[in-house]
Amino acid sequence: MSNNTDYLLLFRGNEWQKRLSPEELEKTLGRFMGWFEELKEEGKLKGANPLYGEGKLVSGANGRVVVDGPFAESKEAIGGYFLLSVADEAEAVAIAQRCPTLEHGCVVEVRPVAPECPLAHSLRTATPELAHA
Amino acid sequence: MNTPASSQYLLLFRGPEWDKGLSPAEIQDVLDQAMTWFDGLNRRGIVRGTHALQRSGCIVSEQRAQMVTDGPFAESKEAIGGYLLLELDSLDEAIAAAKDYPGLNRGITIEVRPISTECPIATRLRQEQEAVAAA
Repeated sequence: MSNNTDYLLLFRGNEWQKRLSPEELEKTLGRFMGWFEELKEEGKLKGANPLYGEGKLVSGANGRVVVDGPFAESKEAIGGYFLLSVADEAEAVAIAQRCPTLEHGCVVEVRPVAPECPLAHSLRTATPELAHA
Repeated sequence: MNTPASSQYLLLFRGPEWDKGLSPAEIQDVLDQAMTWFDGLNRRGIVRGTHALQRSGCIVSEQRAQMVTDGPFAESKEAIGGYLLLELDSLDEAIAAAKDYPGLNRGITIEVRPISTECPIATRLRQEQEAVAAA
């Protein structure tokens, strides 16, 4: 029985590779894959996916606004994610700090996963009369 | 923009502050509608993963010796409150699923992103290297 918690690592920044030569880029991607394989072998990786740079943003009442996502060359744009199973936040942060693209300006957002929607949880706690059986 | 075809799409829910100013009953109503929406997707057998995120967390960067900052993930309209991974045949189907999400009426934005089978940067690098080798 594991007490591990899930953490989502979001990799932000999709312009870092522009400053690298093909050789530097190949080296960094190789180190990234090595890091990824290591986490997988340690059983700490529950899921991971790279994202295409393109996409859409859906918003507005009944989703009437659909626009191309402003993902091109942004420090904020999300390029992929890892879903980790680790002991605590310190371990999740320590793993994030080993991300090989950090040194090229990439940023990693470390987010604890909620066992249920935090809003539903706080609502149920605050207003038990609304709780569903 | 040409969005690449994929078989999986990631939906990122942005703007976790939608509940501000709503009564508990109104919030419960939105949550119930969202659950009905989710159950519908689940019954279609297309849900591959989903999580709500806590409003806490950290940003890790290399600037100034691997600074770690606590992220203010509740206050921003851009902040990500959760994700849903769907298996679908096209981006249009993913957008159609996103459009039915009841939280959109409360100011949430959904980012729909096709999943790549390999890192697109690695793909581009390989193609460039092949082009150089062929030249």
